[in-house]
Amino acid sequence: MSDLQARLTGVRGTLRFLGALVSTNLKASLALRGAFWARVFFMFVNNFIFLVMWWVFFERVDDVRGWKLADTAAVYGVAAGSFGLAVIFGNGVQYLARQIYEGDLDSVLSQPKSVLLSAITSHSEPAGWGDLFSAAVLFAVCGYVTPGLIPLCLVLCASGAILFLSTGVLISSTAFWLGNMQSISRQGFHFLVIFSVYPSTIFRGWLKVFLYSAIPAGFVTFLPVSLLREFSWLKFAAILGAAVVYAGIAVLVFTLGLRRYESGSRFGVRA
Amino acid sequence: MRDAAKYIAVLRLSARETFRARGEVFARSVFMVILLVVFSRLWAAVGEGAGLAGIGPAQFLWYLALTEWVTLGIPLFYLSIEEDVRRGDVAYRLARPVSYVWSKLAEGLGQVLVRLVVLGIVALAVGRYLAGSWPDPRALLCALPLGVLACVVLLLIQVLIGLSVFWLHDGAPAFWMIQKFQFVFGGLFWPLDIYPGWMQSIAAWTPFSAAVYGVGRNALRYEPEVALRTAMILVLWIGILGALVAWAYRRSLRVVEVGGG
Repeated sequence: MSDLQARLTGVRGTLRFLGALVSTNLKASLALRGAFWARVFFMFVNNFIFLVMWWVFFERVDDVRGWKLADTAAVYGVAAGSFGLAVIFGNGVQYLARQIYEGDLDSVLSQPKSVLLSAITSHSEPAGWGDLFSAAVLFAVCGYVTPGLIPLCLVLCASGAILFLSTGVLISSTAFWLGNMQSISRQGFHFLVIFSVYPSTIFRGWLKVFLYSAIPAGFVTFLPVSLLREFSWLKFAAILGAAVVYAGIAVLVFTLGLRRYESGSRFGVRA
Repeated sequence: MRDAAKYIAVLRLSARETFRARGEVFARSVFMVILLVVFSRLWAAVGEGAGLAGIGPAQFLWYLALTEWVTLGIPLFYLSIEEDVRRGDVAYRLARPVSYVWSKLAEGLGQVLVRLVVLGIVALAVGRYLAGSWPDPRALLCALPLGVLACVVLLLIQVLIGLSVFWLHDGAPAFWMIQKFQFVFGGLFWPLDIYPGWMQSIAAWTPFSAAVYGVGRNALRYEPEVALRTAMILVLWIGILGALVAWAYRRSLRVVEVGGG
């Protein structure tokens, strides 16, 4: 078997593994059907309450340096879709810092697949489906998305999800060196959400540089929304490139940190 | 009197623990700084245009500093009760010589007091830096007791959400909804003054109007009579919510007796 064939088989195996994990997580979430739908519904309503606040604001202000309510709806659509995909497929990222600190990665170290993938796909958040439904409605009402742009929206949400997860992994991996980072890593994951949902036109100078580097909010929502308004291959390549680069850095930092990992010497079974 | 001493001991212990575990308070402080920076940019951009309801960027910023001071001062306290219920810890804590629910409230207040001090210092320092001026110091003094009363109201709501786990098994959805109502009807990001009349009328019937906007409006104008009225409304809400907590706790004890912790 050639090297390329071996790699392709490896990728296929990983994808099958991911599919099986996601399907198992979904079944586990649906086991408590009432709780599942309650979370989906409340997250859906939750997202629209934020939009109501912006509606109140834009009733009094015509625009913020050209930014209007439609742009806010589009930004919330991309952010909700990205965050929804991230927590459906990789909500384990929110527990990663704790797992590292408490030596709880032992159960995934013995898995035949990637430790990082196994850790972050070990949990799924049902509320993420509520985010996805919200994203669909927000895209429909913002006025920028025609049926032909639906595949583009899916790609943008997928790259946003990768950026969310990469940021989460990066912050959580600091626990390998700094110890207890649970609270800060969880909050850090949400900082990205905060920066992603405000009008991009209010950020200038060093803050704008910060939002396209240390915190990739620019690549999660600002650039995608400008792409929905006016397509450009350059912007499209920048968004996908950013997702690849951030994911690469996150995997590298996690791998370096894993060398310092000390087992919790615990007996446990991974469900 | 002896009971009060027990709850004060719980409060002091909880405050000391919160002070030692600084990570959470630090993270909330960073969160507050980020929000203030983002909104200072927003108000600066709005200020370039026609402005908003005659309120200047500095006033808006101080308003947000006060509303966030109260909002971030409240821990995710319902999670602590939810965990006690899920683990069954409630059952053995019932045997203690203090009421479970009121000792939890004292524990929450201990956490709140430390957060209010730390976040208050952060809000003052960052607010002054970003706004470039101080609000009326008399108004800030009015906001201080109002902030503490508001936190008691918001904490009681969290206790109610925590107790709802006895029946709903999951407090998160209720928390999300109530938190968002707090954001909207409390006027967390912008004052209720800019809301349409019908939304202001709805907000007035919720505890959030007094607990969030009531504290924040001190940054807009110094009105001691309005501050006094807000304090009375908050005390009224503490009475109503306290009675509701006592009632819900009695009902939840029946669930413990029938189904176990």
